[in-house]
Amino acid sequence: MIDNNFNRRDFLKVLGWGGTAVALSACGNTSVEDGRELVTSYSEPADYVIPGIGVYFNSTCAQCDAGCSIMGRVREGRVLKLEGNPDSAINRGKLCGLGQAGVQAHYNPDRLREPLLRTGDQGEAITWDKALELINTKLGGVQGEQIAFLTGGISGHVGVLLKNYLAALGSTNHFAYEAVSPSVVRAANKKAYGVEMPRLRLDKARVIVSFGADFLGAWVSPVHFSQQYAQFRKDSNGGRGVLVQIESKMTLTGANADRWLAIRPGTEGILALGLINALGTAGLKVAADAAAAAKNYTTERVSKDTGISVEQINKLAALLKERTPSLVIAGSAAEGYAHGSHNAAAIALLNQVLGNVGQTVEFPASVPFPQIAPIPGNSYALHALNDDMAQGKVKVLFNFGANPVFTAPASMKLQENLSKVPFKVAFAHYLDETALQADLVLPLDSALEDWATAVPEYMAEGAQLNIQQPLMDKLHPGTRGMGDILLALLKQRRPEEYKGYEDFYAYLRNALVQNKAALGGTGKDDDTFWTETLSNGLVKLSVKLPETQGKLSGKASAAGLILPAPAAENSAYPLHLIPAVSASMRDGRHANQPWLQESPDPLTTIVWDSWVEIHPQTAKKLGITEGDIVEVTSRSGSVKAQAYLFPGIHPDAISIPLGYGHEAMGRYAKDVGVNAFKILDTVLDKETGELAMHETRVKVSKTGQRVIIVKDEGAVGGKQMGKKIAVRVSSDKIDLSGEV
Amino acid sequence: MCRFLRFSIFLVGLLGAVGSYAGNATQPLVTADDLGPHVDQPIDFPHDRHAGDAAKGGMEINCMYCHTYARRSIVAGIPPLQKCIGCHQSIDSVRETPRIKQLFEYWEGSADGKIAARTPVPWKKVHDLPDFVRFSHERHVQRFVFQQDKPAQEVCAYCHGDVKTMTVARRSKSLSMGWCVSCHEKDHLVDASSINTSNGPNDCWQCHK
Repeated sequence: MIDNNFNRRDFLKVLGWGGTAVALSACGNTSVEDGRELVTSYSEPADYVIPGIGVYFNSTCAQCDAGCSIMGRVREGRVLKLEGNPDSAINRGKLCGLGQAGVQAHYNPDRLREPLLRTGDQGEAITWDKALELINTKLGGVQGEQIAFLTGGISGHVGVLLKNYLAALGSTNHFAYEAVSPSVVRAANKKAYGVEMPRLRLDKARVIVSFGADFLGAWVSPVHFSQQYAQFRKDSNGGRGVLVQIESKMTLTGANADRWLAIRPGTEGILALGLINALGTAGLKVAADAAAAAKNYTTERVSKDTGISVEQINKLAALLKERTPSLVIAGSAAEGYAHGSHNAAAIALLNQVLGNVGQTVEFPASVPFPQIAPIPGNSYALHALNDDMAQGKVKVLFNFGANPVFTAPASMKLQENLSKVPFKVAFAHYLDETALQADLVLPLDSALEDWATAVPEYMAEGAQLNIQQPLMDKLHPGTRGMGDILLALLKQRRPEEYKGYEDFYAYLRNALVQNKAALGGTGKDDDTFWTETLSNGLVKLSVKLPETQGKLSGKASAAGLILPAPAAENSAYPLHLIPAVSASMRDGRHANQPWLQESPDPLTTIVWDSWVEIHPQTAKKLGITEGDIVEVTSRSGSVKAQAYLFPGIHPDAISIPLGYGHEAMGRYAKDVGVNAFKILDTVLDKETGELAMHETRVKVSKTGQRVIIVKDEGAVGGKQMGKKIAVRVSSDKIDLSGEV
Repeated sequence: MCRFLRFSIFLVGLLGAVGSYAGNATQPLVTADDLGPHVDQPIDFPHDRHAGDAAKGGMEINCMYCHTYARRSIVAGIPPLQKCIGCHQSIDSVRETPRIKQLFEYWEGSADGKIAARTPVPWKKVHDLPDFVRFSHERHVQRFVFQQDKPAQEVCAYCHGDVKTMTVARRSKSLSMGWCVSCHEKDHLVDASSINTSNGPNDCWQCHK
């Protein structure tokens, strides 16, 4: 936000005249510089190295958990740009903006460079030997169960070493925490289909109904889904597919949909049952229990509860009946309530009624090595750890890849509980909010410098094991890879078992070469297998499952399904807060990569700041105009941010993007925007114990301050310079009889 | 307030302009006839001995034997240390001369331990164009050496001067934009056997990408 007493036009004028003057004065001179820079040759170059010409090396993107394979262009020993690896079934040569910014994670000026030990408020640089010895000392006299390891979602051989280390310490306390994860949907899927992450065939569906799943933006494996979506939009299976997005706040996927329906927050499950009822009425064969469960959800009642017109519901049911196979997806908007599990279960039931199980919802491939299988993170883990810390059960806490001090709601009192842990070790790339609370901070290699294997949670086609390898030498000699650190720690505990491995590279090579038969290396000698594996950057596994195992259970049932009535009016906190997960900012772990701050939000085009999305009608009622600084208050706290009037949101809701508002981490993240995590109420999903992210109710008030919003302007909310370039019609004004 | 701010920023711009002009004025005006400054190199590499005419005691080695990347890449590249050693380990006659002893210190490590083995020689860049200029050696070498069949020594000298008479290379052309354009405007034969001519490109983006 900028204050508006010096306007853009004046600024440009002054810049123009001043710039011209400087440019004129510099004419006629060259700036050839002789003898200032060094030009260093190679001493013994590899055959393929030609200075000035890039060589590509394959690796795996670590910016999110989707596990896209990347190729890094390396020139003169420096990685310059990342591209997608065409051999991967997940991203097929494509890469999203978040992945592109991976080079900024690597070259980031705020990366930690040496181990830091807390002395009072200061961090004192110490050597690695000293740091590792300190951990060894501090673990003496502590019982195994008093040691806890907090991580994000984790997989592959780093996960194996981590589990082994905890086992060596006699601890079972591994908490895998992700602030933003589809864990409620995972649990509902497990119940309905027998697997947590079935393979979704968007490309085979002829109609997709998505309940707030932003699969083109930030949901599960967006690059993969985008490509499937392109197939879905083509004529390949009998006509262009139709996408209906039902959500309370428009996402990138919603903006791409044929029809976007604003639903009253939390009533997604009611609509799903309403659709089952309408389908039954329209003559679709519905199983007896599902029909019984949906019996009371008449179209009129559902319309009243959800705010979606009877006409729209009937049209949607007709669309689903006519176009098969279809696909119904439950996303983060459906799962983010105290009854989120039931919403997700109702949506899974709808899929089953429509006969999509086995058609567009398929049994996923998986890697046949359970020890390297992904351990997905959830938010329940943090609540469990928080309780343990509050009771003083944790004496030593390791933290790798999570930033709970930033992502935990203030009402959890996490920071206070963290201070009850006597010794906290953080493995970190930046001095972020959580690392600042630690007693010992150990700097990690960037993902472009480190060795690892990764098994994606969402498998696109066949199973694949991704290789992450260094694309260049380390930038900072004082950082270390997580695998190397864990190996060094394991050598303290189990020297006999691990003494044969000089470093994590040796461990990894050995682990893969030993299993080369299972990894498609039968008949190859070790070196050939290993070189080929690294060159490919991934291993594709062909696993034949027995007939009985390769099927989804398809047991979605209406048993135990309880959907509460829509949330009652709350006069103190009249609005629903929707914390938005944007494609580039996600949960804020990459907020210090300036490209992500700089790339405009796809819907509002705002950069470098937080904003409060508010419906124009609601804004009018409250007397708010664009650029007003508003205070958003929940029971758990308040934040102040600029208001942005946006028609793509339910009038009863407002939305603030997550990931902004860091108090530490680095120069590009600190003090940019506000942290919406902080004002979330700690309401949990009743079945899974997950934080119900959409349950927070808020009130909005004007502060009297105003700013000019820094944005590119958007076609959706924009005035289009007064010209009707792209005309909008609200969904209740469409003549549905002429629609698909 | 606004007007005052506007004026003050303009003043700052003006001062900057005058300052930058004054700063430039103190530099010697570089012309095509002028030589660039002497650049001290870690080893006084004798280009004349390697590439010079046989009559003057040179070996007449082709430039591209050592600067092997010039025909394949935008940069000519400094030869890898391995290349120097490749020949010099078999030339016993000069093995004990000061410069060659210095060279082997980079390969084998120095006796005092200050230079580790296989350390590349820290040469200084003599022809250093600004970062906004993209000059491709490959394009020029392919055109003049391979298509027009001219001797490398002559072609390299267009921009680098008569390096075969120098010891340590020294810039002898201005390498300013006007100087580049003066050659791009000339008619050059398309290839050795052709009577057709063409100019060098004069689009801005050819060099400023």
